[in-house]
Amino acid sequence: MTVQAVQSRSATSARAAVLAYIVVSGLVLLLMMLLGLTMRLAQAQWISIQPDFFYVIMTMHGAGMVGIAGLSGAAVMWYFVRRHVPVSTAVFVANLVFFLIGAVLILGSGFIGGFAAAWTFLFPLPAHSGELWSVNAAASYMVGLLFVGVGFLLLHLDIARGILSVYGGLGAALGVKQAFGLAPEDEGPPAAVTASTMVLIINILGILLGAAVLVVSLVNLYVPSFTFNALAAKNMIYFFGHVFINATIYMAVIAVYEILPVFTHRKWKTNRAFYFAWVLSTVMVLTVYPHHLLMDFAMPTWALIAGQIISWLSGLPVLLVTAFGALTNVYRSGIKWTVASGLVFVGVAGWAIGVIPAIADGTIEVNSFMHNTQWVPGHFHTYLLLGMVAMFFGFMTYLVPRTTGALLPFGFWLYLVGGSVFVLCFLAAGSVSVPRRYAVHLPEWLPYDRVASIGATLAVLGALILVLNFVIGLPSAMREEAEA
Amino acid sequence: MVQEVVWGVSIVLMGTLAAVFAWVAIGANVALADYGPIIASAYRLRTWLFGLAIIVLIGTNYYTLGKLPYVSRMSAPTSAKAAQPVEAVAEQWSWSIKPDAFRVGETAEFHVASKDVNHGFALYDPDMRIVAQTQAMPGYINVLRYTFNEPGVYRVLCLEYCGVAHHEMTAEIKVSTH
Repeated sequence: MTVQAVQSRSATSARAAVLAYIVVSGLVLLLMMLLGLTMRLAQAQWISIQPDFFYVIMTMHGAGMVGIAGLSGAAVMWYFVRRHVPVSTAVFVANLVFFLIGAVLILGSGFIGGFAAAWTFLFPLPAHSGELWSVNAAASYMVGLLFVGVGFLLLHLDIARGILSVYGGLGAALGVKQAFGLAPEDEGPPAAVTASTMVLIINILGILLGAAVLVVSLVNLYVPSFTFNALAAKNMIYFFGHVFINATIYMAVIAVYEILPVFTHRKWKTNRAFYFAWVLSTVMVLTVYPHHLLMDFAMPTWALIAGQIISWLSGLPVLLVTAFGALTNVYRSGIKWTVASGLVFVGVAGWAIGVIPAIADGTIEVNSFMHNTQWVPGHFHTYLLLGMVAMFFGFMTYLVPRTTGALLPFGFWLYLVGGSVFVLCFLAAGSVSVPRRYAVHLPEWLPYDRVASIGATLAVLGALILVLNFVIGLPSAMREEAEA
Repeated sequence: MVQEVVWGVSIVLMGTLAAVFAWVAIGANVALADYGPIIASAYRLRTWLFGLAIIVLIGTNYYTLGKLPYVSRMSAPTSAKAAQPVEAVAEQWSWSIKPDAFRVGETAEFHVASKDVNHGFALYDPDMRIVAQTQAMPGYINVLRYTFNEPGVYRVLCLEYCGVAHHEMTAEIKVSTH
């Protein structure tokens, strides 16, 4: 076999692996959205489900969404970073396998074992079920999360290996010299490499801390006399959770850097401000997590104040570099608006807009009134549903452009309008103190739940069309690849 | 109330950002322009926006950080003396709050603890709006002060998910005029 033949086969298998990621991500995203819709319909009292099952769904929805956002983000990142550095398709596929094993364990823990301690599994809740789930069900959930974490750890280490082999160091790949004016900005690494480097730095740290608290909780399940400090556990869980979910956005935003210029015919210019923003974000995403603990008065006050200030600061790189960059790239560009370019543009908008209520809630004085109300899912659904997931759907539609005809743009608008109504209802409900994570709502809260349910239904239908478009076009995409 | 201000400001800022994105999207094909000059003027605008953001950041943080709810940071011993200590203990899935009756103008100093898992202590006024909150954590006592300015029945709701009867974990506090 010739070298060209080996390379071609390698490219085909890599592309097939990316397509497999997208199929799994699209289908699981749909399933998780249906779980979310079920919760809203139950809160709206349009359907009836038992509270214990509601909380199972809530746990599965939370953990599943975080996990699948990670997987879909990884598909985007890996697809683009492998243009610049050598990465292993086998490791990429291994991550998918680890993910699927983890997903089976997690789904089994909930839908068979009744595990319902929320994705946060705050210590020592997993061991205090009130006789509703067993120790083994809780363990299944935690081992499942560990499997998912191990897969991502392998993936990040492999990308780190590839990056180090080309750039020699993580600082060089991040563009630290360019950020501080120590090297010409036009000699900096490509955007996909910078973003991937940031993601692997933060996610390796986040996953390790998450794994540590999972192991501690696992031991506590079987040896109850082995206990751990609840506040320390909470710190570790929120550090891990905050880093991981943020990393999903940082992975997906690579789609914006790569796809938007294709339609505007303008290069996405990486410059000093770009590199500086990513270096800054690397530090801030690791240090901002105490804003999840603003109502834990036992925390050191300096950490909470730092959490507030860093929350405000961390919004700036997003708004002033990526969002502003996207606006500049599109402004009077003659862009060809397609569903793919529209989705990545919406993705940047959703991310930037979601930052505003997030920063508000990251303010201690506001958090005193908004913490754990529906304001919280309001802001993160804005930058996940209308941000990160829109970017991923844009990437998906970029690879398989249009197989469902006029239905595809219809799906785009359903998703955008329905998603907007849905997130605004969350925020409005939060502003009138409706709690989050309640299986049963008071009568005065029902209007928010009902309008949100309508919005969520439209968004799910939109997502269904977008995913369907990809699935229908998959065989021809595979054929084209094989012929190429 | 803080909630109304935050909702209003957030909606205006979110709407403005959405309008900017929509304006750029709609106008993208109207009058085409060279990228170079656009980048140059965009960078100038970005510098101004960065400066404005920093001013807002410093101002808002300075203003809001002067009003922390953490009792350990509250100074005046006189106000501490005037506060009525209240034991608020959480346990799956109920509250033990003693005493639970106050008069208008009285300041309660809630000593919030948990016997088992993490819970949330959120104080709702008679209109069902949150007026103060803290977490109830195993192994810790979080101190929260609140002055009752309106009569009526206040409710305490658990705002940290704590298991399958989380939504039923409520208690009442009565505040009378005299």
